[in-house]
Amino acid sequence: MIDFIQMIISGIAVGSSYALMALAMVLIYKASEVPNFAQGEMALLPVFIAFMIIYSYGYSVFAAFFGALVFALVLGCCLEFAIVRRAKNSNVLGLIIITIGLEMILLGFVSWKFGADERVMPSFPISSYDSVMFGDFYITTIDLLTLIVALVIMISLFLFFRFSKFGVAMKATQQNETAARLMGIRTNRVKMVTWGISGTVGSVAGLLIAPVIMDPYMMWDPMLKGFAGAVVGGMTSLPGAVFGAYIVGIVEHLFGGYVSMDFKAVVAFAVIVIVLCVKPSGLFARHYVKKV
Amino acid sequence: MKKVLLSALLSAAFVFGIFSPGFCEVGITDTEIHIGQWSPQTGPAAAWGAVARGTDAYFKWINANGGIHGRKIVHHYFDDAYNPARTIAGVKQLQERTGIFAWVGGVGTAPGLAVKDYLMAKDVIWVGPAAGSRNWLTPPHKNLFNVYPLYLGDAQLLNEYAINELGKKKIAVVYQEDDYGEQGLEGTKFTLKKYNMEPVAAIPVALGDSDMRPHAMRLRRSDADAVLLFVTPIAASRIIGTGKAMNYNPQWMSTTTCADCPLMMDITQGLYADVITANFGMRDDSEQVGDSQHINNPKMELMQTYKTEVFDRYAARDERWGYTFSLGIALAEPLVEAIRNAGPDLTHEKVIKELENLENFKGMLGRISYGPFDPEDPLTRIGQQSIFLHQCTEDGGSVILTDWIETEYIPMGE
Repeated sequence: MIDFIQMIISGIAVGSSYALMALAMVLIYKASEVPNFAQGEMALLPVFIAFMIIYSYGYSVFAAFFGALVFALVLGCCLEFAIVRRAKNSNVLGLIIITIGLEMILLGFVSWKFGADERVMPSFPISSYDSVMFGDFYITTIDLLTLIVALVIMISLFLFFRFSKFGVAMKATQQNETAARLMGIRTNRVKMVTWGISGTVGSVAGLLIAPVIMDPYMMWDPMLKGFAGAVVGGMTSLPGAVFGAYIVGIVEHLFGGYVSMDFKAVVAFAVIVIVLCVKPSGLFARHYVKKV
Repeated sequence: MKKVLLSALLSAAFVFGIFSPGFCEVGITDTEIHIGQWSPQTGPAAAWGAVARGTDAYFKWINANGGIHGRKIVHHYFDDAYNPARTIAGVKQLQERTGIFAWVGGVGTAPGLAVKDYLMAKDVIWVGPAAGSRNWLTPPHKNLFNVYPLYLGDAQLLNEYAINELGKKKIAVVYQEDDYGEQGLEGTKFTLKKYNMEPVAAIPVALGDSDMRPHAMRLRRSDADAVLLFVTPIAASRIIGTGKAMNYNPQWMSTTTCADCPLMMDITQGLYADVITANFGMRDDSEQVGDSQHINNPKMELMQTYKTEVFDRYAARDERWGYTFSLGIALAEPLVEAIRNAGPDLTHEKVIKELENLENFKGMLGRISYGPFDPEDPLTRIGQQSIFLHQCTEDGGSVILTDWIETEYIPMGE
């Protein structure tokens, strides 16, 4: 029983970074209707920018993280403005190819500029492997921090969409772009900012992974698992994406612990297949049916 | 007139085609020796790209010092991203269009296996695949000279040390799901069987899996008092770190792959201190059990020379002086020695013969020996069988734990 509960705790811990990636992906999916496969690399580049700010310029980790998040916001806006928006009349497949291309460009840039050596984010104030014990159970302090940060971001996003004018404009644009434009909302600007916010949310996940390990492929696994979580929860539902990501984290751990470690890394994708067979739009997304 | 012209042409063909050996040898001219290599400069295994960059810097240094018998080495290395399909394409292109005299290094078992048969069919020399796989010797090939000690040997020495010197009773293995990890597991089972033991846990790690919490939990559940890690440096660091977080602290042990103490101390944030790993070189003859080593301040004179003459002068500005970079030099040393010994009239057969003549050759690694080719005897192509153990220390250095110990070759299926 102790192991079972520990696996649930560990699953939730790892699920937090998946949840941040899932949130980031869903934000863009709702705005541009494309699964953004460059999401991991949109987080990767700011992480290495933070590393550079600390390592080369000697700034504090807090200044570096703030700088990285601002950079992530600008990067997301620029990608939407300069590339995605220019893809005139492209279908979903075309947009997917564009995001894969962006992913390769960003990954190649990071590999070229910063090299492929493994490292960790310097000067991070919390040790990656210190833990907090609750009786027989443990959670690492960095996992605990990630969990708290993820919850804060989720609540912030909820409040933002619910109560801010811009958040409501974003929701309106996501629900019906034409109607939103007719109501005077500058939908292009809304989409651009959505990409920026998405990049920032993803970068938070990256910055919280970086104290454990940094290399050009560090975001690959969280991005895939975040995507899996988003699909499970429903690509158009923010709470669904979060819930799906935690499900993926927990299922992975229980499967690895009790069934097979060999297939632990791929069980998330089996979960996707099962969920999509049972509920094609995901567990939480509303499935719109047009009456004829 | 025609007869005169024909005679002149035949004479020219005779002179240049028969009396000039360079003309009939692929990859050699009077001024150049073409040597090929692949390595992942991009992709998940890109950290191993430093092997080829180490070799490249070494060859530049040789060329700057006059080359070998007046010939410069032209080093052709390409990025295969650890993708065997790209390895095949790159090797074929270089071999058939440029013409390569010999291949050196070549990172990874899977990429190497993808081109092994092709290179052997082409009758090309290949020295020092950068992976300790038994596949290079099963069966042995006339043109393939192994340098890197086998992971099977790492497993033997680590297990024997854990049992005999540390008194460990419960040994677990964490192994990567590929040839590297599986040979580590096989070597562990082979050795433990001698002591009527079995691993208390054998836990696979999927390539690309970044979450090691379940693995560490299984280890804790097994109550192993020594854990052997046949995984990548990143996976090793995560397993050790997660173990520490759950207050599980067995004796961690690992292979030559994770023997770069400065790197490992850095990425584990100091948790790699006291971890025992196998090591296959960079040890001076004067260094004894109990002595301290540090790669940044090597006692080995040859290594100091490489650091100041090769690395400082020819490595890229952002390059890290570490085991991976220096391995690129070490794997090329036997080939360079053989080419040098073959003399100015360089031929494929002469280099094979000179490689076979190497006995207890001492470069940066341990003693390397080959023998006349015997298709039934893999030891004629094994190169180095001796390794030693060291234990990483807080300062990123290490303490030598054992003498050089010759490991047993374990044939396939035993």
